[in-house]
Amino acid sequence: MFESLPNHFRSHRIATDVRALLLLQKSMEKGLIKTLGDIYNVLKAIIVKEQSLIGPYTKAFYDYFLEIDIQHGERLNDAIIRSNTFKKWKQKHLEENRDIDENDLVPLVNTFLDEIHLTTYDIKEVIDGKELWNKDNPYQQDESSENGGEAEERNLDKMADYSDISLERLLERMKIIQENQKTQHSGGNHWIGTGGISPYGHGGAARGGIRVGGTGGGKMARAVLNDKNYYPVDVNKMVNDNNIDAALASLKGIIEESAHDEIDIKNTIKLGIQRGGLFLPEIKKVTQEKLQVILLIDNGGYSMLSYVKVVRELFKKMKTRFAHDLETYYFHNTIYGEVYSDVNRSKPIKIRTLLNKDPNYRIFIIGDATMGTYEINQQSVNSYEALKKKFKKIAWINPEPIKYWPHTMSLQIIRKVIDMYPMTPKGIEDAVKEMNRKGMSLSSV
Amino acid sequence: MALTEFWKGSDKYICDASLAQAFHMARVLGMPLLIEGEPGTGKTELPLQYAASSGLPLFVYPTGSKSNVDSFVARFDHVKYLRDSQVEILNAQREEKGLKGKLSTGDRNSEKLEDYVVKGPAAQAYSSPNSVLLIDEIDKAPREFPNDLLYALSHRKFIMPESGEVIEISEEDMPAIVITSNREQELPTAFKGRCIYHYITFPEATMMKEIVLKHYPKINDRVVEVALDAFYQLRNLGLERAPTTRELLNWLKYVQTFASEDSIEKIKKLEGLGVLIKTQADMEKIERALSGTSELKHQGSYN
Repeated sequence: MFESLPNHFRSHRIATDVRALLLLQKSMEKGLIKTLGDIYNVLKAIIVKEQSLIGPYTKAFYDYFLEIDIQHGERLNDAIIRSNTFKKWKQKHLEENRDIDENDLVPLVNTFLDEIHLTTYDIKEVIDGKELWNKDNPYQQDESSENGGEAEERNLDKMADYSDISLERLLERMKIIQENQKTQHSGGNHWIGTGGISPYGHGGAARGGIRVGGTGGGKMARAVLNDKNYYPVDVNKMVNDNNIDAALASLKGIIEESAHDEIDIKNTIKLGIQRGGLFLPEIKKVTQEKLQVILLIDNGGYSMLSYVKVVRELFKKMKTRFAHDLETYYFHNTIYGEVYSDVNRSKPIKIRTLLNKDPNYRIFIIGDATMGTYEINQQSVNSYEALKKKFKKIAWINPEPIKYWPHTMSLQIIRKVIDMYPMTPKGIEDAVKEMNRKGMSLSSV
Repeated sequence: MALTEFWKGSDKYICDASLAQAFHMARVLGMPLLIEGEPGTGKTELPLQYAASSGLPLFVYPTGSKSNVDSFVARFDHVKYLRDSQVEILNAQREEKGLKGKLSTGDRNSEKLEDYVVKGPAAQAYSSPNSVLLIDEIDKAPREFPNDLLYALSHRKFIMPESGEVIEISEEDMPAIVITSNREQELPTAFKGRCIYHYITFPEATMMKEIVLKHYPKINDRVVEVALDAFYQLRNLGLERAPTTRELLNWLKYVQTFASEDSIEKIKKLEGLGVLIKTQADMEKIERALSGTSELKHQGSYN
């Protein structure tokens, strides 16, 4: 019944495939899904594989299941209030609760959110859904005015448990209901409207009052949408292997460190002969040279904008290749006394902190080195010189095409201090080769 | 599919409702649960406490840069095998020459290959029904480890090297598998696809208070309040390494050794800050933030 779901979520740039649907179906069969809140949680666990996708996922979910389209930068509350789903739900809700003030929207939105995110786990009391099922006639025609009599049968403080009913029957039933449904509905336990207690309807399950110590899914959803941590900085997909990879592969010491104990052949033979030809294996520990990389990225400045894509690509590559031995810092245009550990450049790290690191670190600086000449002052040059002095294996990778280099003053100044290479596979390979050569001479000293 | 009863935490461990649900879901679906989140949010604690409170056997595989599937499942100790077989020859020779005293092979018998199979946590977990298997800090592993692991976990059967012994487990008896990660490296997409994913959000003040009370049931209410206030203000300073639950608990342990009024004073003066703050830069930042005010300002909201 959710055939269009993968496509919908993909259109929100969240990788989703048929497997997600199959898992969703399995979850239904195992009785994990009885409310819309359950669907939110289960789908989240299945689809979302990193924190920064929780935001987009929540958006996509509201759009798909509730037709609530959250605009960029819009608060969840506003999006809900704007939506037809909420208006319909409100109308119904107010009919049932005449003592509620309809202009006081905040508690209404809260109740609405509570209903959406109500999960099976929140429901303390589960009534046998069979009884409800039998009373509920799917062939009932859509006569909104006649739902007064139904109200008594609906037990709103409890939750219908449909887990005994097979999925096929449930799906079949949904179809019949859909066909009979003339208008969009709210309330009632068999309409695929909002706020009913039908298990797969919008805003399933019961009303407020039941939620004592619930998960507060609505609160979570709201928090998620207001927090930049739950949005991706970079939605670009992982790039395929290409020549950048090949260039990086030439970095020395890249061999995977999985060696552990090894037989020490030399010693085994030596001691074996001493024992008169009885060879007992001697063991030695094998440790390998660790390859540590620091990446300094210029992520500010208008001029860098045009290179964002290619820089990201390189960055992704490095990240997969060096995994936990990669440290990344950011700067704006040029480095003065500090760099930043986060993309938003809010967490400064002193250059002298970097200078305290192991001199065997390999440093890649990525930037166009293009700026007003006044920006590159003595402090900046000092920083570069200090880095160069400490880390022999350092290279500047410049995305700017090499033919423009001679025309940029700041670039020329920096280039005098740190070797600069164009950001092409060839350029990166050259940089790496040079680093390896320096590494050799360094270790032989 | 492991035991599928819903587990909400124990008297020592508060399990966030959404985490409890994800864990339940993973067990019902028979998939590993992958937990990410800030350090000190109790990622590793979940399986430990679950096993302890439910009385289930627990197997832990701490991942490191040398991890491989052999050490996770089982490996054959060739070196020991070679040694023992040589020792046997040696013993025979010594006997021939009438020499007494034999070299020992322990309880191992080089005729029995299974004596040389070193079982890892996975093989052990799969040999005991309904156990709990924790794979800790998988992001520290070499790149190929998660994918190899995936293959190992997707079959409910391991074949021991050399001895050929088969360890198999039914779907009902599958261990509950929990994997934790600090995101030091990106895990392969295919790997994440096979897991139930849960991101632990940092607990809010009310939740944190509960956590504190679980650890120190006798602590003075006012002390907790003041400490939490200071703690969340510190977290909101945007530090290099924001203090976590673990550090808060340690800090409270320290201030608790004094009478309540004294400890409140100590908290206000941020005494014992070294427990909370781990870098020099952060210390400087806090000092800057504090200069001008003798104590942390009390604000209604932390934003």
